[in-house]
Amino acid sequence: MAKKHRITLTEEELVSALQRHDKIGAEALYDMYSAALYGVIVRIVNDTSTAEDVLQETFVKIWHSAASYSAEKGRLFTWIVNIARNLAIDKIRSKDFRNQFKNQELENNVGYIDQNNSTVYKPELLGVKDLINTLRPEQKSVLDLIYFKGYTHTEAADELGMPLGTIKTRLRMAIQQLRKHFN
Amino acid sequence: MEETREYIESGILELYVLGDLSTEEKLQVQAMVQKHPLVKAELQEIEKAAYLYADLHQTEPSPVLRDRVLNSLLTNFADDRNLKTVTNRREEATVRKMNASSAAKPTVSVFYKYGFAASLLLLCASIAATAILYSRLRQSQQQLITLAQSNQKFANQVSFMQDEISVFRDPSFKLIQLKGTAKAPNSALTVAWSATRKKVMVDLKSVKLPETSKDQQYQLWAIVDQKPVDLGVFDGALTDTADMQLMKSVSTAQAFAVTIEPRGGSSNPTMEQMVVMASL
Repeated sequence: MAKKHRITLTEEELVSALQRHDKIGAEALYDMYSAALYGVIVRIVNDTSTAEDVLQETFVKIWHSAASYSAEKGRLFTWIVNIARNLAIDKIRSKDFRNQFKNQELENNVGYIDQNNSTVYKPELLGVKDLINTLRPEQKSVLDLIYFKGYTHTEAADELGMPLGTIKTRLRMAIQQLRKHFN
Repeated sequence: MEETREYIESGILELYVLGDLSTEEKLQVQAMVQKHPLVKAELQEIEKAAYLYADLHQTEPSPVLRDRVLNSLLTNFADDRNLKTVTNRREEATVRKMNASSAAKPTVSVFYKYGFAASLLLLCASIAATAILYSRLRQSQQQLITLAQSNQKFANQVSFMQDEISVFRDPSFKLIQLKGTAKAPNSALTVAWSATRKKVMVDLKSVKLPETSKDQQYQLWAIVDQKPVDLGVFDGALTDTADMQLMKSVSTAQAFAVTIEPRGGSSNPTMEQMVVMASL
């Protein structure tokens, strides 16, 4: 594929373009965040065509409710990734989705994402392996359950058989590690 | 200070960033962030880390998805803002092909919207114009019919008048003055008769006859071989087309006479109602 010219705006410009329903806002939003959002969505729904639908629904929802976003709520990505996560969770909990995968063998989904999605490694991401190593397994499992599996921290506590407090602490520690790593 | 520190340590900011709080808790966090710069700085650090973590795991969606998503945002967004996303997606599927090469997708739909409005307006205007033109056409046709009728009337009148004039030019015509009888001594009437042409005409301008009632008419008779022959009836009043009236034809006559008869005429003259006569 010919590499398209990607549009990048500052966060302020992007937010105001979205709220004006300016075409450039839609393009910049897609170019800047689709891959990160898709990475989250595809890990939650575990199916590319469903993930594509959810990604589209996410953008539609962002586009139509951009007016309700304000910088007081935090940075834009925090807001949109939570929209994406909620739509993805709604999708895997919907009856249609569960029926669709009722008859599939579990094994079919092993390595599914890696086979079907080209993960792009940017130069600044060369340290992914290091990062994985800096996160202790118990920290990473908590973070990933919530971030990439759509669990609430209460559900993660049940899943891992840990008290809520421990989950919160481990989550905080994991993010502390990430911060250290990215700095 | 201690309070904000504890707040930060509680891990609530992480849950906020991960969207794992109730609406009420979210509002509390936002209030704390606005109040305490330290909390704000901490939140921003967490957000940044969370973003970078997602970015690290970024997965490129299929390249064709970009157009699909952007079209669903930009096509008809003015109209479909309140529709469910499912509807949007279905519409997008049918609309995409048409818009694939178009650079200005939203203006296309706006163009059609205004185009539709404009054509409706145009339709109304042309219906109104047609109605007006139709009524004018009807008026014109009416006038044309009236004109044709009056034209016909004048043509008839002219040809009749030419007939009348020919009466005077034609030497075979004789003008016969009918004189009043004892019953109506002041009466008079002029009749033109051509024996060769077998034509008899009454000069209505010369009529000086006793008044008739509405159910009566004058009847002209020719006396042929001592017997009265009916030549038709006439009214004393002038008709608007001519001042001479053509009567039934007769080739020979010894006398002409007029009687007053019931409207429509009689087969035999009522002799006591004879008002004028002339013998030849």
